[in-house]
Amino acid sequence: MVTDRQLDVLVICGSLRKGSYNAALARTLPALAPAGMKLRDAPSFASFPLYNFDIQDATGFPHEVDVWADAIRRADGLIIVSPEYNWSIPGGLKNAIDWVSRMKDQPFKDKPVALQSAAGGILGGSRMQYHLRQSLTSIDAHLFGRPEVIVTFAHQKFGDKTLELLDQTAIDMIKLQLAGFERYIRRVSAKE
Amino acid sequence: MANLNVVSICGSLRKGSFNAMLQRMLPSLAPEGMTIKPAPSFAEFPHYNSDIQNSTGFPAPVNTLADAIRAADGVIFCTPEYNFSIPGALKNAIDWVSRLQNQPFAGKPVALQSASPGPVGGARVQYDLRKSMMFLDAFTLNKPEIFIGNCTSKFDEKTGELKDEATRGFIKQQLAAFAALIARVAPKS
Repeated sequence: MVTDRQLDVLVICGSLRKGSYNAALARTLPALAPAGMKLRDAPSFASFPLYNFDIQDATGFPHEVDVWADAIRRADGLIIVSPEYNWSIPGGLKNAIDWVSRMKDQPFKDKPVALQSAAGGILGGSRMQYHLRQSLTSIDAHLFGRPEVIVTFAHQKFGDKTLELLDQTAIDMIKLQLAGFERYIRRVSAKE
Repeated sequence: MANLNVVSICGSLRKGSFNAMLQRMLPSLAPEGMTIKPAPSFAEFPHYNSDIQNSTGFPAPVNTLADAIRAADGVIFCTPEYNFSIPGALKNAIDWVSRLQNQPFAGKPVALQSASPGPVGGARVQYDLRKSMMFLDAFTLNKPEIFIGNCTSKFDEKTGELKDEATRGFIKQQLAAFAALIARVAPKS
């Protein structure tokens, strides 16, 4: 029963660059997750073509899109850790969501999702989070509410060389969110 | 009437796109003195990754689109709505050009249009696009808004023509208002 077994949670990072604070944030999660939750990284969306219905219509869904969709389907829940580009969702991440949203057996349907973001400024990527909530709600995901993980002034909170998260407040908030997310997944999941 | 050179950007990549049909209709609905041409495509842009930018620089197609935007007196977006928001590929294009020195949307007059088979006509994508444009210091035209809902019945799918007279009328009004906005916010020489 999903109420009893360990949960399998997929972590999706919205940035592609090596030095990403959001990738660093995603790396902190396994150590901060409750015992009832096991995390794994999603395959990359970096090689997805730009969404074009003509591709879908002619040759079907690209293989890498299928792989990403399957990884999402198998998971009990998702954590999306993403930067904010131009007050909104990075195009690459949104493109990946656009692709899988077109599938029969659409992978975000009824999927519990939690959001996190890190950014250099005062809002910590929160504008992106509210757009992502809107977008994922339109494809029937279950968006976990609070606590939110919004890491502001990221350059002060991650170590220069190792990008380790050093800020205790952020660490505590992440632990609270992940514990709350575990309870949320168990509550909203269909009874097996 | 000054000559205004406007570029249009379509948010969909597919051949049969209603928003591409809309884009193609615009020259015939433009006020006197305004030419509207399609901007260079973003279809070959890689996914935004600052590592690319920092290693090999901005991809050529990104610079081509940015140059076209810079040279234009205004930009019109004709975009579908994907999942209650901006199509990822279009947002990716905006993300790329937003990173350039001499960021092309700064001070640029922008107008928004959307066509959708559903009734809401793309309102959600436009409000999200407004936010990105606000961050990039564009001057986005407030009104009239162009939300073409139930678009399947308004375009002739064979010829691509916009048949609906009321919609054509609204677009004419919007493009005239856009010309006025461009004139008003143009740098005073």
